[in-house]
Amino acid sequence: MAMIDEPLYPIAILIDEIKNDDIRLRLNSIRRLSTIARELGEERTRKELIPFLSENNDDDDEVLLAMAEELGVFIPYIGGVEYAHVLLPPLETLCTVEETCVRDKAVESLCRIGSQMNESDVVDWFVPLVKRLAAGEWFTARVSSCGLFHIAYPSSPDMLKAELRSTYALLCEDDMPIVRRSAASNLGKFAMIVEQRHLKTDILCMFEDLMLDEQDSVRLLVVEGCAAFGKLLEPQVCVSDILPLIINFSQDKSWRVRYMVANQLYEFCEAAGPETTRSDLVPTYVRLLRDNEAEVRIAASGKVTKFCQILGPDLAIQHILPCVKELSSDSSQHVRSSLASVIMGMAPVLGKVIGIDLLSQSLLPAIVELAEDRHWRVRLAIIEYIPLLASQLGVRFFDDKLGALCMQWLEDKVFSIRDAAANNLKRLAEEFGPEWAMQHIVPQVIDKMNNPYYLYRMIFLHSISLLSPVLGADITCQKLLPVVIYASKDRVPNIKFNVAKVLQSLIPIVDSSDVEKTIRPCLVELSEDPDVDVRYFAGQALQACDQQMMSS
Amino acid sequence: MSDLDRQIEQLKRCEPLKESEVKALCLKAMEILVEEGNVQRVDAPVTICGDIHGQFYDMKELFKVGGDCPKTNYLFLGDFVDRGFYSVETFLLLLALKVRYPDRITLIRGNHESRQITQVYGFYDECLRKYGSVNVWRYCTDIFDYLSLSALIENKIFGVHGGLSPNITTLDQIRTIDRKQEVPHDGAMCDLLWSDPEDSVEGWGLSPRGAGYLFGANVVSSFNHSNNIDYICRAHQLVMEGYKWMFNNQIVTVWSAPNYCYRCGNVAAILELDENLNKQFRVFEAAPQEARGVPSKKPAPDYFL
Repeated sequence: MAMIDEPLYPIAILIDEIKNDDIRLRLNSIRRLSTIARELGEERTRKELIPFLSENNDDDDEVLLAMAEELGVFIPYIGGVEYAHVLLPPLETLCTVEETCVRDKAVESLCRIGSQMNESDVVDWFVPLVKRLAAGEWFTARVSSCGLFHIAYPSSPDMLKAELRSTYALLCEDDMPIVRRSAASNLGKFAMIVEQRHLKTDILCMFEDLMLDEQDSVRLLVVEGCAAFGKLLEPQVCVSDILPLIINFSQDKSWRVRYMVANQLYEFCEAAGPETTRSDLVPTYVRLLRDNEAEVRIAASGKVTKFCQILGPDLAIQHILPCVKELSSDSSQHVRSSLASVIMGMAPVLGKVIGIDLLSQSLLPAIVELAEDRHWRVRLAIIEYIPLLASQLGVRFFDDKLGALCMQWLEDKVFSIRDAAANNLKRLAEEFGPEWAMQHIVPQVIDKMNNPYYLYRMIFLHSISLLSPVLGADITCQKLLPVVIYASKDRVPNIKFNVAKVLQSLIPIVDSSDVEKTIRPCLVELSEDPDVDVRYFAGQALQACDQQMMSS
Repeated sequence: MSDLDRQIEQLKRCEPLKESEVKALCLKAMEILVEEGNVQRVDAPVTICGDIHGQFYDMKELFKVGGDCPKTNYLFLGDFVDRGFYSVETFLLLLALKVRYPDRITLIRGNHESRQITQVYGFYDECLRKYGSVNVWRYCTDIFDYLSLSALIENKIFGVHGGLSPNITTLDQIRTIDRKQEVPHDGAMCDLLWSDPEDSVEGWGLSPRGAGYLFGANVVSSFNHSNNIDYICRAHQLVMEGYKWMFNNQIVTVWSAPNYCYRCGNVAAILELDENLNKQFRVFEAAPQEARGVPSKKPAPDYFL
């Protein structure tokens, strides 16, 4: 073993730097812990490096965090899984420090190591560690222990399992809310691996305990896990035991808890089944939609379409639609945004069953209200769904009700809405075809080119350039091109250089004879304009004309 | 696509340029700005914007409401930098647009476009943090000296960052200022960038800012009358509603930094003037959280250099 006698200069430096005063150097060493270990060899790593690290735990949080992370992947450097227990002591210490992110990382690494250890080693080393932490005097140890049970439990014999369950139950009743919070947020993981027969007894008790906790911060964590937990239980247990609690929580005095219920209710309904949802949860959901806290309404209204899918059209129309109408003029812009992003999904769900007419009466008022919302992002959410709605409901529904809105958006005071409105026209033309577009879009757009404000003329010009490829060469030449050419005489340079850009986009669409006869002369004139930008973009377009000529 | 067009796209994503690119951009900008008058002529239609203060994502919101440059013409009334997290990206984007479309966007100087002020209110530190040296700050502050002091829209609307000066009664007096210097501590040039209109003042009053003056309704009336101006459009003061008329519609303040300093809770506004000088104020709010980047706490890595 001559190697060991040789001076390991760089390693010596790294080891030295673990103790250096400069935190950056210490951090650097810790990050290269695997290099040190590889050089030291497995045995010396086990016997010297790891014990050294176990003692060296009074460092800066950043160094401890790095150490917690490195140790999680250290099994290969200490001689494999059979020695994995060697890594537990330093991580156990890190599980007790003040800084949360260090503890979380240590727990994560312990889970990673524990899940690789063989069963008897888990029983010999890992379970005692969990028990020590759970009985820890200082709360940090107990907080950390909650995240380790699901690793310790499966390998344990029955006696030990019973002990672990009762230990966890104690953590759920801990004096410190922060420990109970940890127990609450890890309960789902634990429940996943506990045998079915204990779920209904032990785990359900813990669950109910935590749900009745005096701290809302604990309760809301339980609610967060209730849907996942409900799915583990048999549906009838879920209905008999969890459902009443959920209904209770939807009226909790803390809005954060109600918010969590609103967030989880749909998932819980999946666990409880459609029948229970229809019979028991409609009033709960309606109450949440009408909650006096905006945050709760935001969460509830975001699920409105999914909820209607479970309820079916009849109940949806009877109970949910009235709320939707109210929410469409909610005082909170965020509620309206949340609703706008899902309301369009309701139309197809309901429309197929109840028919277009009934749908128009029931849902459309809410859509129209949102379509004219004073906050532009709400309007935008609605516009973006219009093509989908059009394709699902068909042209008749569209002509009657929404056509006017689509034209109105083109003259919105916000540019992004005008821009989205122009794109919307294009997609409608694609959906309903050129003939429809010639009747319902093109004349109106052409008409509006006389608008006195250049920003509006600009958007109609832009609409024309978007529509041309959809409408084809003939319509473009006969109807659209003359309007564009006319706009090249505009007094505002911005219109003129956009005319040049639009003409350039029309080159591949129209016949080359039209390019030469109409487009090129117009561009030549623009290329002599006093405005430099008009000349620039006309020049660009003329180059495109030339290229088209050469290639054809 | 030209280098400049690519740089504009990059800046629109809030990614700063390389130091060498900033240097080249500033040289080009200098050539353009040096030709502009102290009272820069601006044609209608144009959209007028007030203070931005490095609130890059809120400026993007401004463009979402007002439309992109060059489709929409813009006049920015100064105070592009300081206080917000992204003074570098904000100013460089505006400057790149100026170089690419000199006739579509006008930038005039605010009191924060100054070496002294930027060393206190953030732009200097931001340059140092993002580039590891102060070279970019030097290039930018050198450009500040070339920015015009005011704008005159169709001979009818006078645009300025702060307000008026007791040393100035006619626009021609502004035209005679030698502006290519650091903002002085007093005098006409200082006042244009620092002064505020004030209801309770008649004539001129002492400014609590320590530079410039407070001026009353009669000062504005006589200035507008003798220069044949409809009204003055200025920025410089936070107004919670985004814009505010004073003195019987003779002067308007436009403020374009919503939720100023990320905590004031105000809305912002821009003033759209159409080709016939009809006015439309467009009020907008701060960009929603999901539309903003997270400011990096770490020092800029070496690859910026």
